[in-house]
Amino acid sequence: MANHSTSHPTHVHHHFVDSDQQFDTAKLGMWVFLVNEILFFGGLFCAYIIYRAWYPELFQMAALELNTFWGAVNTVVLIGSSLTVAMAIRSAQKDQMKGLKINLLITIGLALVFMVIKGFEYAHKFELGIFPGEYYTYEGIDHPQAAIFFSIYYMLTGVHAVHVLIGIGLIYWIYLRAKKGEFSSEYYTPVEITGLYWHLVDLIWIFLFPLLYLIE
Amino acid sequence: MSTHNHEHHISTAGQLWAVGTTLFILTIITVVVAKFVAIPPPFDVVTAISIALIKAFLVAAFFMNLYWDVKFNAMLLIMAVIFFLLMISITLLDTMYRNDVVPSF
Repeated sequence: MANHSTSHPTHVHHHFVDSDQQFDTAKLGMWVFLVNEILFFGGLFCAYIIYRAWYPELFQMAALELNTFWGAVNTVVLIGSSLTVAMAIRSAQKDQMKGLKINLLITIGLALVFMVIKGFEYAHKFELGIFPGEYYTYEGIDHPQAAIFFSIYYMLTGVHAVHVLIGIGLIYWIYLRAKKGEFSSEYYTPVEITGLYWHLVDLIWIFLFPLLYLIE
Repeated sequence: MSTHNHEHHISTAGQLWAVGTTLFILTIITVVVAKFVAIPPPFDVVTAISIALIKAFLVAAFFMNLYWDVKFNAMLLIMAVIFFLLMISITLLDTMYRNDVVPSF
């Protein structure tokens, strides 16, 4: 490949030396944002840890209300979507634009499946009167602090679900840009960076699943 | 960094599927262990978190490409984890050694 510092391709902004420098800079910026995301979720995980240390028996009782099967299905769905995003990036790197678009669409499909399952889980809990905080009316768990578990559950899974929704929007935006033919093996930075974001959403769920659904 | 594209690692489809399949298998293992193997606490949590950490490592290293990436990005992730552990430890030093849990909490 030729050195592009002299021939400056159109996607390279004037303040970067070359395409590689722009790529690495964008990626670094995304990683700094992901650090911020990890610490943001970290605060919620911290709340989880404190309350689980205070009320271990509550977490055992309350986790029985969560459906392990659907939690596991959602884990597999999210891991599958991470795989398709990785495949999408590989397609872009190899100039396979059709593969890129198909993998992005499958990813959006899997993300929607995740949200639908999550929606059914929430709806089921709302029917039982399992709401967060003071709106909690469910009688089925014999513990004075039962609402606390579900406040934490709704915060963790809710904030995660918001991230999934944002991810769907981002991937659709990448799909539209791919359709316009904006990407190639020379320039696929937005695909790579959106992929990083999506993998982080998957990473968070990898910890949420055992911590919420798999307490015995 | 002078030549273009030489530094961008391209995983083969087989590698990506291998990582994905490993993640699927680990998911099954973590469910089976939690549901059907009686591990006395706190080691049940330790087991679940250990499997989750292995899965997280696989995603970060091979899906997020940190294994082939500029080392600085891996350092950022490690620093985030260290600061997260610091946040938990300092908070627990308070909450685990209170005489009375704050009422209504």
